[in-house]
This record gives sequence, C-alpha cells and structure tokens, in this order.
Amino acid sequence: MTAGPELTLDQLAGDAAVERLYRQVFAVLARESGAMISDLELLDVDEAILDAFADAGRDGLTVDQAVAACRPIDPGLIHRRFEVLRDYGAISKVVDRPNERFHRAAFAPYVMLLFLRRLAEQGGQAELHQLLTLEHVSVTAPDAEPETGQTTISRLTRIFRHLGNELAILAAGSTAEQLGDHAQLLWGNKGLISQAEEVHTVVLNRWPQLDRECTALRVALAAYGDAVEKAAGRLIERAGTTRALGLLSVETWLSFARTANEDDLAGVLDTFVFDAPAPWFSPNLLTEAVESGRGANTVRQPPPRPEGPAAPPPDDVRPADDAASLRETAERLLGDGDAVAVSDVLDDAGDWLAARRLLADLTAIHHHPDLAYELTWSDGLHVDPGGSPSWVSDGTFRRGRTEDAA
Amino acid sequence: MSIDDTALWWARHRAAGPERVPPASAHPTGMIRLVEPDASAVWLLPELPDNARPDVLDELGLPGIAVDQPNDTARVLAACLRCCWNEPTGPVWPAVPAPFDHVIGVFRAITGSRDERALHAAAMGAVRRLAGAGWVLFDEDTRVVRLGPRVASWSAAELSTLRELWRSLPAPPAGGA
Repeated sequence: MTAGPELTLDQLAGDAAVERLYRQVFAVLARESGAMISDLELLDVDEAILDAFADAGRDGLTVDQAVAACRPIDPGLIHRRFEVLRDYGAISKVVDRPNERFHRAAFAPYVMLLFLRRLAEQGGQAELHQLLTLEHVSVTAPDAEPETGQTTISRLTRIFRHLGNELAILAAGSTAEQLGDHAQLLWGNKGLISQAEEVHTVVLNRWPQLDRECTALRVALAAYGDAVEKAAGRLIERAGTTRALGLLSVETWLSFARTANEDDLAGVLDTFVFDAPAPWFSPNLLTEAVESGRGANTVRQPPPRPEGPAAPPPDDVRPADDAASLRETAERLLGDGDAVAVSDVLDDAGDWLAARRLLADLTAIHHHPDLAYELTWSDGLHVDPGGSPSWVSDGTFRRGRTEDAA
Repeated sequence: MSIDDTALWWARHRAAGPERVPPASAHPTGMIRLVEPDASAVWLLPELPDNARPDVLDELGLPGIAVDQPNDTARVLAACLRCCWNEPTGPVWPAVPAPFDHVIGVFRAITGSRDERALHAAAMGAVRRLAGAGWVLFDEDTRVVRLGPRVASWSAAELSTLRELWRSLPAPPAGGA
C-alpha cells in the first residue's frame, strides 16, 4: 500500500485481498474487535471452534452446532469467540444474505494458530531455520532470477539486524534477569549463522553483481554474532558471581559439568579463596569458658522436699464425708419401717426443687460404701398429670444392703 | 625467595593452616619459624601486625569462624595449656607432651560433675577439633597431647592473661609426663 495516491482498481482489489487475509489471520489473537487476547485459554477455544468447522464438512456450521461441537467449553464463551472471529472474517456466512445461519471458516487463521503454537513452544528458532532452508532452496532453484537473490538477501539482512539489535540492546542495558528471559535468542545461533552464510555464498557465486547486498548481510551476521557473544558473556559473568544458576537452563549446566575437563571445572572457582576452618581462641575466651564451666553443675538435683515426718494435710483438702448427714436423712425418711416407695418420698417433699434434692440424697446414700441402705428401681411408672413430677418410676428405698451382700 | 614464593606460602597457610616443612627449606617473608623440639622440622606461622590479627573480628563485631561446642573446646584448650606448659614464665612454644588422661583430669576438675562417658566424649571431640585447627597436636595412638604451632600466635599481652589462667587452674594429677 505504498503505491502512492494513483491506485488502480486492480491494485486496490489486491490490497483489499491482502488486508482481508491479515484480518483473518489475526482473528485468533483478538480478544474483541480491536484488542489482543490476554488469555491462553481463548486460543484453545479458537482452536476448538476451528476444529469443529474442519470436522463439519461442506455444509458449514450454525452457531449452535458449533457450541454443541465444542461441548465441554462454556457456551457463552463460544458465542463470544464466534462473534469475534466473524468480525475479523475468519468465519463468514456460507452465502452472504440476511438470516443465513450456516458459516464457513477460512483456513488461514488455523494455519496461523499452528504457527503460533509452534512459536510459543520453540521460541521461533525452528521457524528461522525453516525460513533459511526455504531461502536456500529458492536461490538454488535453476530458474531463480537475480531479483530473487536480492529479496532473499535483503530479507535475511533485516532478520539478523532485528535479532542482533534486540540482543545488543538487552546486553547493554538490561538486567541479567531480563537477559535470561530472552535467552532463547542465544541458542542455536551458530546453526543460524552458518545457514545464512550458505545462502550468502550461493547468491554471491551466482550473481556477483549483488555484492553490495551481500556485504550488508555479512555485516548483519557479524553484528548478530557479536551481540550473542556479548550477551552470553554477561549472562555467564552474572551467573558466576550471583550464583543465579537459573539464568541458564538445567540441561546447559549439566552438559557443561559432564563435558568439561578438569581445568574448566577448576576454573569455576578460580577467584575464590577458601579459608582453613581454624577458629581463633583468645585468652579472654578461654578464661570465660573455664569460669563458666566451674559454675555449671550438670547433675540434676531432686526438687526440694519438706523435712521431718509428713504433717497431715489441712482440713479443707481432706475429702468431705457427709455419711452422718446422709444417715440422718435416710433414718428420717424410713422412720420405723424397713422400706419406703420413692414416689411417696417425692410426694412428701412437695415441689420438684425439694424432691430432686431428696432424689440426689437417696442416690448418694445408695452409693455410699459405709451406709447400709439400698435404692432399687423396677419397671412400674406412677403417672400423675397434675403433680409436679408428673411421672415417677417405681422405686423402693430400703435398709439392709450390707446384710444382703454379706 | 621471590615474591611469588612468599605469596604462595601465605596462600598455603591461609588454605591449610600452619605448614610443617623440613628445617632447611623455605623462610618466607613475614613468617616466623617454629622449630620442633628435636629440630626435625619447622612450622611456618605468619607474624601478623596487631591490627590484622583474628581478634580484630571481635573488635569489629564480626562473627569469626564458628566451632562446635565452643565452651568445651576452649576448656579443653585451657586444660592442655595447664598440662603442657610446664614453664609458664617462659614461651608457650614448644612446651612438653602430656598424656591425654591428665588433660581429662584437669578438664574434669574445671567442668564440675558430669557423667564420665559424656566427659570423655566431650574432651575427645574438643581435642580433635583443636588438633584439626592446629591448636594442639594429638597423637590418637599413644594418647599424647602437645601444644600446636598456632599457640605461638598469641601475643605477649595475651600470654600474660594466659599465665593468670594457668595459675588459676588445678594442677594435673601427679606422677605423669
């Protein structure tokens, strides 16, 4: 679109086609019209939608069919992504008319998605290698023109300038951590450079008139190589002094440790001096230690005991024994007889507050080891809806338990 | 002796402590030579200026090299001093060898009552630590203790403090060494 104001209709149509393709391709990266996605899951949703279209065949899909095909994913999310993809033209109506329900998907977004996945997984190195291979094929093709060689060379020059500039700026001005994040630019650079040099040699031998462009490529390659050296040197230096071993990948450290010879390994510790572990004992320390040692008595002393025969504990800690008052209560309740019914006793007591106190006393008398009274319960039940305890189990309080036991 | 050799000897001392060398060998600048009693070997020990000695760490409030059981280790060193330094009016090197049992006797006297096995374990551990650092020379087979070359790095003022300590310590059991 740099053709100036005098565009022909053909050029306009061509530009429109290119722009449409760009829009389609970037649809997978759009969060909504005009914004980038910020969530990796959305890429998965895009892929699911495009997969559904691929499986759908020639009829295309309605929105609802697409939602059904992407079943486990939230339908609302599918609807929104569907709209975004349609806005960008990645999905369009099968026939462009109102109320058309079936849609078809363009193939370019899916290809873009695959590229994005690969770039994300491998950091773009593989793509660069493939690009270089393709350029090599195109310049060695028998029907290649000098123009092909020129565009190839200028393209490669730009790529390596980009790489070299980014690395050089990072190496000069950023922290080692930032540098480490971009470390994938450093790996495999030897292969890249030699591949580019091969292309360069082919072009230079075939079209010697492209000497100027080839010089530019050589300069760019050398600059990239220098930037790599510089950045790697900085990383290694930082990793050596900060022990920030995470700056390089674990495998890199392992392969270094496995392949290095003794001198390389020893070189890691070249700048370190190890002190012999010799503590210093000043005379004051000795004196203090000796004096504190005399005071310290490590034999365990038993806790202090009272002297003389053990005095009886004071009255208030002896267990209370209310046998006398309990016996008195029992005699009062029994009177002259040998047995009395519990229900009668409770009735005599009047209200429930007094009755339950009596019941507690009876139970205590029954359980007291020194008192020969007995409280027995049987199955009967005295029911009196008007009474204060409205029902009373059939129980008997009698004397003579010790005689029974004996 | 060249500067390089001198630097090497200083580096050796820093890495490995006092070095035992044949009597006719090196005499690096700034190091004193401690001759063994039988003149069979020489210990090389740096002669540090007053403001570069290890006790400067204390003045600066910096942690020195830590040692396990610092108090027991210091007591055992004091006990070794008491047993080996038979002439406390003179220099502390080379002193005389002393049986390890005497050291344990003094150690027992200055540590109060303690289980006998724990006492032996503590004394043995401490004397091994001291031997590793060059403060004493300990022959495990014959169980004989000598003061190590590092004791010669105590200054005159420190030695007078140590003489006070020596006098305050109980004498080793009679009839030995």
